[in-house]
Amino acid sequence: MSATRTFDAIVIGGGLNGLAAAGVLARAGQSVCLLERAPHLGGLAAPDASGAPRMAHLLYNLSPVVRRDLGLGARDWPFKTVALPTVALSEDGRHVVTQGAKARFADGGTHPDAAGFAALHQRLTSYAALLRQLAEAAPPGGDAPLLSSARLKEVLRLGRVGLGLRRMGKPEMRRFLQILLSNAYDLILDDIPDSPLAGLLAADAVRGAAAGPRAPGTVFGLLYRMGHGGGASLPMGGMAAVIDAFAGAARQAGAVIETGCGVARILTDQDRVTGVITDEGETLNAARVLSSGGARITAEMAGLAHFDIEASRRLRHVRARGTVAKINLTLSSLPAIPGLPDDLLSARMVIAPSASYVEEAFNPSKYREVSPHPVIEALLPGQTDPAQRGAQGHALSLIVQYAPVDLAGGWHAAARDTLLQTTLNTLSRYAPGLPDLVTGAEVIPPDRIEAETGAPGGHWHHAEMSLDQLLTLRPAIGIGRYGMGPSGLFLCGASAHPGGDLMGLAGRNAAHAALRGTP
Amino acid sequence: MRPQSSFDAIIIGAGHNGLTAAAYLARAGRQVLVVEKNDWIGGAAVSRSLHEGWTYSNCSYVCSLLRREIVRDLDLPKYGLQVIPYEGGASFTPDGDYFAYYSDHHALHREMARHSPRDADAYPRYAQMILRQCRFIRPFLLRDAPDPASLHPRDLGEMAYMVKQAHGLGRRELAETLRFWTMSIGDLLNEHFESDLIKAHLAGSGIIGTGLGVYSPGTAYVLLHHYMGDIDGGIGAWGFARGGMGAISAALGAAFEAAGGTIHVGADVAQILVKEGRVTGVALEDGREFHAPVVASNMDVKRTFLTHVERAALPEDFTRAVERFKIRGSSAKLNIALDRLPAFPAAPQHASFLRGDLHVSQSLWELERAYDDWKAGRWSARPYIDMLIPSQIDPTMAPPGSHMMTVFVQYAPYDLAAEGQRSGQNWTDAARHALAETVLDQITIACPDIRDRIQHMEVRSPLELETEVGLTEGNIFQGELTFDQLFFNRPVPGYSGYGSPIAGLYLCGSSAHPGGGVMAAPGANAARTILRREWPRAPRKGYAA
Amino acid sequence: MSIATDPKLGLIDGPVHPRLAALNRAQGWYGWAGYAAPSMLDTVEFEYFALRNQASLFDISPMHKYRITGPDAARVLNRLVTRDVAKIATGRVGYALWCDEEGMVIDDGTLFHLGPEDWRLCCQEPMLTWLLEAAWGFNADILDESREIAGLALQGPTAYAVLCAAGLDVAHLRPFDLEEVEPGLMISRTGFTGDLGYELWTAWGDALPLWDRLWQAGDNLGLRAIGYEAVNIARIEAGYMVAGVDFQPAHATERLHRGHTPLELGLGPMVDLTKGHFNGRRALLATKPRSLLMRLDVEGFKPAQGALVYQAKRREVGHVTSGVWSPTAKRNIALAHVQIPYAARHPSTLWAEIYTLEEGRWDRRMARLTPVKSAFFRPPRARATPPDLI
Repeated sequence: MSATRTFDAIVIGGGLNGLAAAGVLARAGQSVCLLERAPHLGGLAAPDASGAPRMAHLLYNLSPVVRRDLGLGARDWPFKTVALPTVALSEDGRHVVTQGAKARFADGGTHPDAAGFAALHQRLTSYAALLRQLAEAAPPGGDAPLLSSARLKEVLRLGRVGLGLRRMGKPEMRRFLQILLSNAYDLILDDIPDSPLAGLLAADAVRGAAAGPRAPGTVFGLLYRMGHGGGASLPMGGMAAVIDAFAGAARQAGAVIETGCGVARILTDQDRVTGVITDEGETLNAARVLSSGGARITAEMAGLAHFDIEASRRLRHVRARGTVAKINLTLSSLPAIPGLPDDLLSARMVIAPSASYVEEAFNPSKYREVSPHPVIEALLPGQTDPAQRGAQGHALSLIVQYAPVDLAGGWHAAARDTLLQTTLNTLSRYAPGLPDLVTGAEVIPPDRIEAETGAPGGHWHHAEMSLDQLLTLRPAIGIGRYGMGPSGLFLCGASAHPGGDLMGLAGRNAAHAALRGTP
Repeated sequence: MRPQSSFDAIIIGAGHNGLTAAAYLARAGRQVLVVEKNDWIGGAAVSRSLHEGWTYSNCSYVCSLLRREIVRDLDLPKYGLQVIPYEGGASFTPDGDYFAYYSDHHALHREMARHSPRDADAYPRYAQMILRQCRFIRPFLLRDAPDPASLHPRDLGEMAYMVKQAHGLGRRELAETLRFWTMSIGDLLNEHFESDLIKAHLAGSGIIGTGLGVYSPGTAYVLLHHYMGDIDGGIGAWGFARGGMGAISAALGAAFEAAGGTIHVGADVAQILVKEGRVTGVALEDGREFHAPVVASNMDVKRTFLTHVERAALPEDFTRAVERFKIRGSSAKLNIALDRLPAFPAAPQHASFLRGDLHVSQSLWELERAYDDWKAGRWSARPYIDMLIPSQIDPTMAPPGSHMMTVFVQYAPYDLAAEGQRSGQNWTDAARHALAETVLDQITIACPDIRDRIQHMEVRSPLELETEVGLTEGNIFQGELTFDQLFFNRPVPGYSGYGSPIAGLYLCGSSAHPGGGVMAAPGANAARTILRREWPRAPRKGYAA
Repeated sequence: MSIATDPKLGLIDGPVHPRLAALNRAQGWYGWAGYAAPSMLDTVEFEYFALRNQASLFDISPMHKYRITGPDAARVLNRLVTRDVAKIATGRVGYALWCDEEGMVIDDGTLFHLGPEDWRLCCQEPMLTWLLEAAWGFNADILDESREIAGLALQGPTAYAVLCAAGLDVAHLRPFDLEEVEPGLMISRTGFTGDLGYELWTAWGDALPLWDRLWQAGDNLGLRAIGYEAVNIARIEAGYMVAGVDFQPAHATERLHRGHTPLELGLGPMVDLTKGHFNGRRALLATKPRSLLMRLDVEGFKPAQGALVYQAKRREVGHVTSGVWSPTAKRNIALAHVQIPYAARHPSTLWAEIYTLEEGRWDRRMARLTPVKSAFFRPPRARATPPDLI
């Protein structure tokens, strides 16, 4: 029998956050082993075998800080990304196209609310840029000594945010402090009449969330997306290109990456992490273990006995209720959408004809039902990148909201069919005849997302991004700064600050916390 | 002798906050006039005789938040104020059972254990957490909310106080506090309890008066807003004002007049007079004018600035912010004269909880669905009701043997939807009648014979609350109690200090910090600010100092 | 508008209430977990002396009792309490205390190791939610037995003789032993008085016959039913603390920072930092005690209950939580919280400021305090096995 392998750190889970963590640790000279249970890397980002997107299909927030820390290029990522316009579909064919702060009708006409939209967009992106600084480090509130360098850095960072606030001027600073805690619905409708343009913003505010736009705090959802300007972009070569870049950086720095290798238990001794046992029974030694799984699963892998009773209570109450289903259609030919020029078929298309529509779509999900009129984000990735068109025909990637993980009666085949039918019905209101083009369909409800990726509740962010689960409160009190339970155990997935969304920051921040040694 | 037309200060509106502000100013030696559009004082704290022999607290109906510092400063008991705590409460079920809330904790434990032994055990810790939060927040109620954008020493001082208080909590408790403030009452209750009925009973305080559902973030704070009062130091206790809520206004009015103040009723202000950026007085609908260098409005922020001040006199940014301020009617009210006590078949004989607040909501989901109805412009098919029969312990409310019942109803939208249009004007007599029938159906869960007991009934939709009391959209708090409209954001950022862009014009109502409820804190805080700014040398006593 | 009393309010009857009600000539009742419990039955001092000189019977049924069973029962308990429960053998009882995540004591109580994977926890504070939370994720069941199991405390020098007369053989029971002596009747050699004594545990419905059986057996042995006031004197003599009196249970602190760590209660030896993780361990490692619960001998004869404690008569450094004249030790004794540097100072210069009311006149006295190492009263008979009959 070969000797037990020993590493400085073990990373559990090969999603973008796990890869980022492994990369940062390896580049800091640590010997790192990353273990991924699935046969492939990428987690929620992992593409279909054909190269078409499977779960995640667009990028919003890839962080340049992560790129820098992974050594992936001073200016650009090693893969090309194409910024996509967004089309807010309208049943009457007067679709609205937005790109950045600009909004117009798809037929080229001027949108009456373009100015209002631009002002709101500009305001939100400037706020988001300010908040981004908070995302790029552990949340404030550590217990480092007052004069330690960690504490000084924290004070400096907060000072920079404060200074940025001051620079906005008094009125804007006050507005910021108000809007931050506000609800998206009111914020949007204060400036824009309820319409597809308002619906688009409302939908973006709650995408992936178990909330409707009227819920206080949902403005944060919008800001979160806008950390880097708010535009959606498609990576050329698909998510595989992104995953390869992350994994490549880690490997190049010496990290060992093993797929098809799950972790059964995290080992501890004398309140210190000592390593892991894999599903196959192999013991790997390491003084640090970083887990990109959910917080509760991570604690269970280490053994709840190593956590205070309050901690396990809080972990149990972390809200992670996935409300989004992914549907991947194969179309025999491109759909015709009346009123939409063909070149805009490459856009991110959103069905959310009004903010009220989004709120109404949310209502049934509270009672464990599927929305009869769902909010849909649709993408034909092959229109931009032929490599993502799919094996045959045209891949149409759909994010369908709301489809709660805890659907009454469960996600059996009939429930999945009903969701598919509801989705096709909704699509056909904008693209008549689209259902006839469907030659293949895969419905991935949240329970499936959880089963495949381990994301708690099938929730994209592993934990709801609501105000009571942000910053030091994320995912729960006492574990908000990556360290949890026995010393040497860290959370590096989306449930840690600042959250998910193919950003890699949680993993990167957690790696820095692990390098500092103590939580 | 000609009536006096010039004063040191004019207060618009004789609500409890207006009268409080007026009383503090008068006691500081100012000549103060209160003008009230109705023929009676009290605003939403009134006792009305709409049916002979009965007294209705027809708007606000119970008392807890009224700050004891103010009661003592203004010597309100001397002017007839008596507040009597009431005993517990209950939620009834359609199958003839009930959950009773007792203030005696052993009785409460046994009653809870009847529904869930776990919940009975969990309750003391839940209550202790709420009390901790109350202890934290109470000192802030009678302080100014600082403007975080300001570098004024007073604002910096208040910010420093805030930081000190937060720091004193310790790291864990601070985190728990932040979490508490940002979570929903539904999530909070689900963490502690398993019984649907108990959760529904406890959730009511998290939504009363707001346009939010039990699962909307921030409703845990709304619950706190209803718990942070006290009666004789019993934090969270509620009671009746003897003689109805009008007794509070009457005592405030008497305290004010005893300090030399003047009240004009039937004096409807048409316009707040402004000259060169400074307030000069008020013009009434009947043509009279009164002049003063200081005017404080007890009206809500929208009514004050959007309909009573010339738009040109205000900066556009401010007006826009006021327009964005959310005041949403979400509640209605039934006031009922009963020929005798209705039967509560489920309740044991001599049940004390019948003298408390009674409810019929069965679960959090039922409450959430009630909110969905409201969002869509309908009143709730199964509304939350908060029902009390104060005449059981207050002998002044109804003839002997007869009773007065007050039923608070949520949700009822101001802008009722009818034929695709949402408007307050859709509150026709037929609509109000239909609402009443819905509510009476709900009440029959608790007392099936309610309809046979009714001698007279007043149905108040949000529209009535707006037209009679003057509360925009009939919102009982003069503005939603959401994060973006609390503390330094109340009513609008930059103006949390009771002032306005017009020199000498102040807000003293619930639109201002710390918000709604019969608390009188906004009135007292406004008076303190006014005295400090306008008459820095005036002698000040008690809390206003 | 006449108002009759709600039948659901007020205190309820415990399992031996008919006997207690008949004996309670003083009509002195207090509420213990909602039950009517006697504070005294006729005269506190004679009840006390019965406890120290003959035998006394006291109903402890209002205590909270929880059954912890299942393969993970011991793991759950070790997660909960600060000591290592592996060291409590089957058939033994162990004193234990448990902390919140900040190391503040939630409550203390006794752990009965009834059998393999079978434990009972007796304590003062309701603990069901906390136990369920501790057991979540473990293979252990928690059952609230508070209303199923009754307990009678038989304490005093002739306690053993009373049991013998009742036909119950417990000669071999050492202190902290427990045994099911008859089907449905468990006896443990435990108590809250520091004296020879036993606690008898049986089904709620069997408590009354058990009372009668003991009562009859005690006929010639001076057995007397007693109330809590007598017990309270005895437990202060024994140096035992009471939750809510001598320390504020962490879950019942509404004001912040009012809790105490085991070290601050003088219970450092009850904390086993080597047994692996338990609740509050990390916090206990990181925090230093701020104060100490001390046993003090008080100068003079006036009980120091509620007195403030001063360093050198000047600086306020603590307060007395329990103070009483000990009729057996003939000393004026007290338990007091004292801030840490002053608690450890030798020689002690601590004083108590005692207010006295004598014939309508309030007075203030400063009394010198002397730290006492062990219990104020700890008779050898409490440990003798087999015990003496008198």
